[in-house]
Amino acid sequence: MKKLAGLKGKGNHLCFLIIAVLLAASPLLVSSTSMIQFLGKCMCFSIVAIALDLIWGYTGMLSLGHGIYFCLGGYGMAMYLRLRDNGGQLTDFMQTGGLEELPVFWRPFQHFPLALLFIILIPTVLAGAIGFFIFRSRIKGVYFSIITQALTWAAYSLFIANSKYTGGNNGITDFSSLLGSTRGPANRGNLLTLFWVTLLALILVYMLASFLVNRKFGKLLIAIRDGENRTFFSGYCVNNYKNFIYTLSAILAAIGGALYVNFNGSITPSQMTISYSITMVIWVAVGGRGTIIGAVIGAFFINLCEYNLSSGSLADIWQYIIGIIFCVTIVFFKGGIVGIFRDQIPALLKGRGKKKEVA
Amino acid sequence: MSKTNENVLNIKHVSVIFDGFKALTDVDIQVKRHSIHFFIGPNGAGKTTLLDIICAKTKPTSGTVHYYPKGREDIRLTGMKEYKIVNEGVGRKFQVPSVFVELTVFENMVLSLKGHKGVWESIFYKVSKADKEQIMEVLKKVGLQDRIDIQAGSLAHGEKQWLEIAMQLVQKPEIIMLDEPAAGMGKPETFKTGELLKEIKKECTIIVVEHDMDFVKQIADTVTVLHEGKVLMEGNISDVLADRTVQAVYLGRGGERNAEDQ
Repeated sequence: MKKLAGLKGKGNHLCFLIIAVLLAASPLLVSSTSMIQFLGKCMCFSIVAIALDLIWGYTGMLSLGHGIYFCLGGYGMAMYLRLRDNGGQLTDFMQTGGLEELPVFWRPFQHFPLALLFIILIPTVLAGAIGFFIFRSRIKGVYFSIITQALTWAAYSLFIANSKYTGGNNGITDFSSLLGSTRGPANRGNLLTLFWVTLLALILVYMLASFLVNRKFGKLLIAIRDGENRTFFSGYCVNNYKNFIYTLSAILAAIGGALYVNFNGSITPSQMTISYSITMVIWVAVGGRGTIIGAVIGAFFINLCEYNLSSGSLADIWQYIIGIIFCVTIVFFKGGIVGIFRDQIPALLKGRGKKKEVA
Repeated sequence: MSKTNENVLNIKHVSVIFDGFKALTDVDIQVKRHSIHFFIGPNGAGKTTLLDIICAKTKPTSGTVHYYPKGREDIRLTGMKEYKIVNEGVGRKFQVPSVFVELTVFENMVLSLKGHKGVWESIFYKVSKADKEQIMEVLKKVGLQDRIDIQAGSLAHGEKQWLEIAMQLVQKPEIIMLDEPAAGMGKPETFKTGELLKEIKKECTIIVVEHDMDFVKQIADTVTVLHEGKVLMEGNISDVLADRTVQAVYLGRGGERNAEDQ
């Protein structure tokens, strides 16, 4: 029994290893640039899914507004790349908006190290402050979800309304990646390097998350999820733990966003919307919340479905299909895809074995 | 010196009013060190509220609770954060067994150990040999030493109660508060719990809220009878049971009510 449990724990890592190896080798197997770009985006989504899983799957706080952190990272990177490609000049939307010099908060993004710093720092401060007030007031459950949703909506409106600073509806577009252009066969080298760097980031995030959840810290997150009151009365300042993991999750989401714009070549406020934030929740739910590998699998699975369904004959109804997958998961497979392999299939095999014994 | 050392807890003039409802009125209770102190009384007498006051789950409208830890300065519990009170050595078990169902028995115990309560400490904490020995020793006391790898959620009801008591014990508290530890237990299990508490009494003070009179008779050193938020009387169990008012209020009417419920 104990051996089996150990095998299960290692099974997750083995599964991730297989995914990582497949991803690392995929540029050699796939020649299509758009497919490589797509897989690169999926890796970024996986990082966001892991971030969300840490606070929802493990700690039981359902954030319906992680798009805000994803976008903060994305916009930060986009601002740097846009200025770099622009030679530090005003962007088109600033000129249209009537600005005569670069806004103050754009200036740090002229320099790469500063840009990196702000990509991390802004989500840290924002999430830390939001978390501080929410958790100090012991707001939880549905109320937490509603607040995160409302904050995201507010941020979205803010980005739309201040179009001369943010590019409004169109967001920030027309920039190449950190390593230069990734389009066309001539720049395939850039794309592949970017791809492998992103894979490395995903591996590091996976390792960090796995490390945390396997420590006493991770058990405590589960304890908070299953019995917050008991955790308080075991002598823990639950607020600090929640705030720590919420902020960490925000940072990871921002990293995912910052990498994502390199593949996407643009960032728009639509990635900050509530529906986009809920899509992230769907990745985690379908993959299997409460397991790090589940978040990765879910992000890839849903996006692969979307990639294949959103063009072709099912283009009109693919969103319904995703919706149905989500509903079926919630109703019948609480553990998601990981749960099917970990619980349902072994239970089925066991059931058959018993029937055979009886026969 | 002598006075502070005799009592471990001093509840002074505590009143609680919830939206005009007087849950507790001017309650004065001293709890003696290394005793098993029962709060009994009919439903709605304010027993659980009193525990909530001590561990700061509820704030009193007026009055204070002072705690006299061994060899240290006395501490005013009123107004402190609940997790800090726990770390000072006052543990609490809830009415509904609340163990961490998805974690194993051993993990439940690890989380309850004294110390390592900060975020960074918990990230880098490793179970030491001494910690493990201490956990096993406590688990042996409650009879769960063979079940360390079982998920707490799949334990039987009585076992969950014992695990929760063990989780209190492993924190090395000076006071343990137990809200209906024998609820839902059969006679033999209840008796075993009683014997366990007698054993624990050597190390700390135990405050119990309980309805089961046989259980009270088995182990109580002092009994405080609460009625409609006030202290009706206090004494040892035979005095309390012999008291006419108590019989009228608690045993008489309470008994009838219980009979009606059944």
